[in-house]
Amino acid sequence: MLEVTGFTKRFRGIAALDNVDFSLNEGEVHALLGENGAGKSTLINLIAGTFPWAEGVYRINGRTITSLTPQVAQEIGIAAVFQEFSLVPDLTVVENIFLGREQSSGLFLKRKQMRQAAAELLDSLGFHLPLDEKVASLSRAQKQMVEIAKALRMRPKVLILDEPTASLTDGEAEKLFNAVALLKARGVGIIYVSHRMSEIRNLSDRVTVLRGGKKIGTVVTSEISDEGLIEMMVGRPVEQLFPKIEHKPGAVRLQVRDLTTEKHSVIGASFTARAGEVVGLAGLVGCGRSELCRAVFGLETIEAGAVMLGDKPVERPTPSSMLAANVCYFPADRGSEGLALARSARENATMSSLGLPELSAGPVLKFWRETETIRTPLGNLGLRPMAPERKASAFSGGNQQKLMLARGLMKPFDVYLFDEPTVGIDVGAKADVYNLIKSLVEAGASVVVSTSELPELINLASRVYVMHEGKIVAELAQHELSEAQVLSHYFGGRA
Amino acid sequence: MEAKTQPMAQPSGLSLKDILRAARLPIAIVVVLVLFGLVEPRVLSFGNFRNIALQASYLAIFAMAQTMVLLTRGFDLSLGYTVSLVSVAASMAMVAMGGGDFSILYGVGAAVLIAGAIGLANGLLIAGIGINPLVTTLGMANMVLALASTISGGFPVTGLPKSLTAEFAQGSLLAIPMPIWIAALVFGLLFLTLKATRFGRSLYIIGANPKAAVAAGIRTVPVLVLAYMLCALLAALGALLLTARTGSGEPNLGGNLTLEAIAAAVVGGVRLSGGEGGVGAAVLGALFVTVLSNGMNLVQIDGYLQQICLGVIIIVSLIVNRDEARR
Amino acid sequence: MSSETVSMTPTVANAPSHRASRLDRFLMQGGIVITFLIVAVVATTLIEPRFLNRLNLLNVMRNFALLLIPSLAQMLVMTAGGFDLSVGAVVAATSVVTAAVMLVGSGYFPGMELTVIFASLVIALGVGALVGLVNAGLVSTFSLSPFMVTLAMMSVLMGIALYFTQGIPIYGVTDSFIANVGRGQFLGLPIVLWAALGVLAACIFMQRFTALGRHIYAVGSDQRSARLSGVATGRTLIVAYMLAGLLAALTGFLMTSRLGSGQSTIGGTLALETIAAAVIGGVSLRGGVGRAELVALAALFLSVIANAMNLVQVDSKYQTLVLGAVLIVALAIERLLLRKRQA
Repeated sequence: MLEVTGFTKRFRGIAALDNVDFSLNEGEVHALLGENGAGKSTLINLIAGTFPWAEGVYRINGRTITSLTPQVAQEIGIAAVFQEFSLVPDLTVVENIFLGREQSSGLFLKRKQMRQAAAELLDSLGFHLPLDEKVASLSRAQKQMVEIAKALRMRPKVLILDEPTASLTDGEAEKLFNAVALLKARGVGIIYVSHRMSEIRNLSDRVTVLRGGKKIGTVVTSEISDEGLIEMMVGRPVEQLFPKIEHKPGAVRLQVRDLTTEKHSVIGASFTARAGEVVGLAGLVGCGRSELCRAVFGLETIEAGAVMLGDKPVERPTPSSMLAANVCYFPADRGSEGLALARSARENATMSSLGLPELSAGPVLKFWRETETIRTPLGNLGLRPMAPERKASAFSGGNQQKLMLARGLMKPFDVYLFDEPTVGIDVGAKADVYNLIKSLVEAGASVVVSTSELPELINLASRVYVMHEGKIVAELAQHELSEAQVLSHYFGGRA
Repeated sequence: MEAKTQPMAQPSGLSLKDILRAARLPIAIVVVLVLFGLVEPRVLSFGNFRNIALQASYLAIFAMAQTMVLLTRGFDLSLGYTVSLVSVAASMAMVAMGGGDFSILYGVGAAVLIAGAIGLANGLLIAGIGINPLVTTLGMANMVLALASTISGGFPVTGLPKSLTAEFAQGSLLAIPMPIWIAALVFGLLFLTLKATRFGRSLYIIGANPKAAVAAGIRTVPVLVLAYMLCALLAALGALLLTARTGSGEPNLGGNLTLEAIAAAVVGGVRLSGGEGGVGAAVLGALFVTVLSNGMNLVQIDGYLQQICLGVIIIVSLIVNRDEARR
Repeated sequence: MSSETVSMTPTVANAPSHRASRLDRFLMQGGIVITFLIVAVVATTLIEPRFLNRLNLLNVMRNFALLLIPSLAQMLVMTAGGFDLSVGAVVAATSVVTAAVMLVGSGYFPGMELTVIFASLVIALGVGALVGLVNAGLVSTFSLSPFMVTLAMMSVLMGIALYFTQGIPIYGVTDSFIANVGRGQFLGLPIVLWAALGVLAACIFMQRFTALGRHIYAVGSDQRSARLSGVATGRTLIVAYMLAGLLAALTGFLMTSRLGSGQSTIGGTLALETIAAAVIGGVSLRGGVGRAELVALAALFLSVIANAMNLVQVDSKYQTLVLGAVLIVALAIERLLLRKRQA
């Protein structure tokens, strides 16, 4: 039904997609698998018409399409549910579902009809949502349901789902799978982007694997094993991606006792982190592990509980006081919270270190010493290209991540808090980050890694805490670390 | 993992594009001067250049003041009326203290106190509580204006020490008028502050990404409060200089100043989205605006038409200087 | 209670409580303004009983009408995510235009008063719409800050108006215009009030019952999402700004009937007043939120306060001071409530 051949797309000279072929049949669930940065989102964006393709042929139902916009794509029956929703926060569920396609007679909106239609649509999918609630107050899972309903209102022939279960609970994901089955039965072709093996195995008919912008292969799901898929995805045996880390747990560096945040995103959490070990924080998106790190660092307001460094309690953590106390936090979203993209790489690398003696004397900033001071840290991280005066926005995702990580190397910290350290970066950069963690730990620091990537937890950490809905529900020692074990606690500690 | 030492690329030097960009405004200034000069030769006389430089000094100070706040993605709409209030209040202080040379100190003191208070209030409301800077300073502007009219009764305050005007408006050092020296001094100090202090660097980071600044441990509230106070204090300095020039405290002094200061900064290329630009841009912008109004005066274009021109210039500059990163 | 916690499967059973909270929220938003209003009226009556004097009340209603219309204009632009600082300048410019057309018209077409009045209305509205179009065009095409664009536009318009009049009022406004529109009444209420109520009804209708209303909210709330969903964002912005320009022009037209002349010096503080009315009426500075009914209540509140200050003979300079302070206080309360609600 849908066929693209030779698709190529370049961003600033770098090929995000290189000569990729992809096809989709009616009533087929075709999974798209690949690492972050492999080109999955580029491909689906091209198919959905978000931006134009540089080279390639696009055919749907025999017709060749030469150019596409999101509107036109919707009209020819292609709908997409991306990770970043297209919902308007201040409008209600019904209003959002019909946004841009309101039904009116003359000037009057057919409010009753639209409400009815929306209710029917949601019912047919098995979604139960408060129709008149403003979208801003819905949970992420609920918002996703609205987004899906919105995508389906035009009865598309092709539906693209981008990592749909990233933040859903067991029960919610189940509903999604049922909806997928329903649509499949109706003859809708579904492109399902994910890196969760179990889903791909259960849902898809075929899998296409991308790596580094190229298509590695398309296989029938039932004819390949999980390991085979992973190898196609990563390009090397899994073991080689992660360095071997020597954990030598020493003195307790960080202690958190019964911490509860004001927003109740963390409830009564307690954990310890020792020098010379990597502690993992696991759980679904939204379980509170990110908020826990942020609370320790002073970016979330603490309602109750204590944070102790060594054996000294910290009264009210703030980022500047925690940095001074040798605790370093790397934000999860480098674009919105980690970097000042309009400024140079040099300024980004030093922005948290302006008070260091090498760089300042009282209020004076020794700007003439900046370049020298960042030379070693950026060199160790492998920044490419090594051009500190360039704007941060001109670097690739992986290198931007390194700019943000440079702050941790400006002085020897006691505690490092990594929050989703490898999101949206290529495999090479990931390896660099893992090596960084190794060197920090083996030099005696205490490292805490909050991540949604199970392989990272299993291969980097010596202990893992699992969180669910704000609470710590399990602590797993090294010998207990396996995907299945960790996962089993994700949904509330059911072993 | 061994340290990978790589030779660092030279600071990506000025490409041709950058140079052309920086030269845009100076070239425009020259072009405008020439055009006006064709119509009215007096424009191109040395005396007029001196005049322009003198005029521009005042505007430059206000433009630099506004820039301090623009860099942080903020705004100070109360700048013009702060000037009015300071002019009136400082004059009243000087008159109350006898009107002799010594009373100038009291005038300065009053100016500092009032400007400091306004800047502090702005900063606390904007950084402490988090209210939108545009609307906060708009509300503050009207309050300050009301105060200025009230305490002056709407009339100019006369009886200021003669030496104020003689020294600070008409006086000169090495044949260069005092206001130019003062503007140059302010420029130098601010340039250093922006380049070589933690405070200055923080302004840029906060403007470029306020959340990143917080996560990097920059204490944004004190920095922003200081920025708004600095802006108000510089406005006060400008107010004192203007008062010296007119010889009296004028409640209408600040009338159009806010707009002109913003225009100068915007024309000079200070980004409204924060995090980019500098005092050099503000000075160039002030120069351009002054050259334009000077020329229009000499060619005898109606004052109201000049106002129209100002608005159009702002729009053109906004378009020309807009975020080219937007696709 | 935070609604941000990762919730389990929502069921239909939750729906009623959500509906109840929606009512709560409306009351909370409207409740504050209503309370302010009632307190203001009661306090004023107690302090200065002359407030309830029929002539005074008529005055209040006229002032309210002439504040409501431009405030609704401001609301339209703010809910679409922008700002309109040129409101006051449009009022001044159209006042001049109205008077000028009437002056010229009565000269060329004596005796055809109604036609002349009508012509001046049409031309004034045309000017307002044009200004709105230019504002929207600049903001939309070049992605410029609405604040700066309308600020510059304000300068341009004021310059034009002042240039043509040299600051001198234009006399020659048709007498029947002044008598019937400016001072006229219908069923005991001033004509200008009827006009304002008509505009209010139209705004409420548009916001609740038309696709355009929804689109304006959408564009103001999240322009990117709106565009991706198929909303013609450029067109929506243009309509919003043009409507605002029209309403501002209408205000200028009506104000001329009250003043009896075309004045280029009016409207100076209108930007502040209309933003204050909008903000107090619950319009969010970030866009996407704002209801005409509440803005009307806020405008009424401000009119009552202004009238009270006049009765107590507070100097007009102080009144602006109070206005500025009220605006800042209202904003501070909004911010602090927002922070609390996020907890």
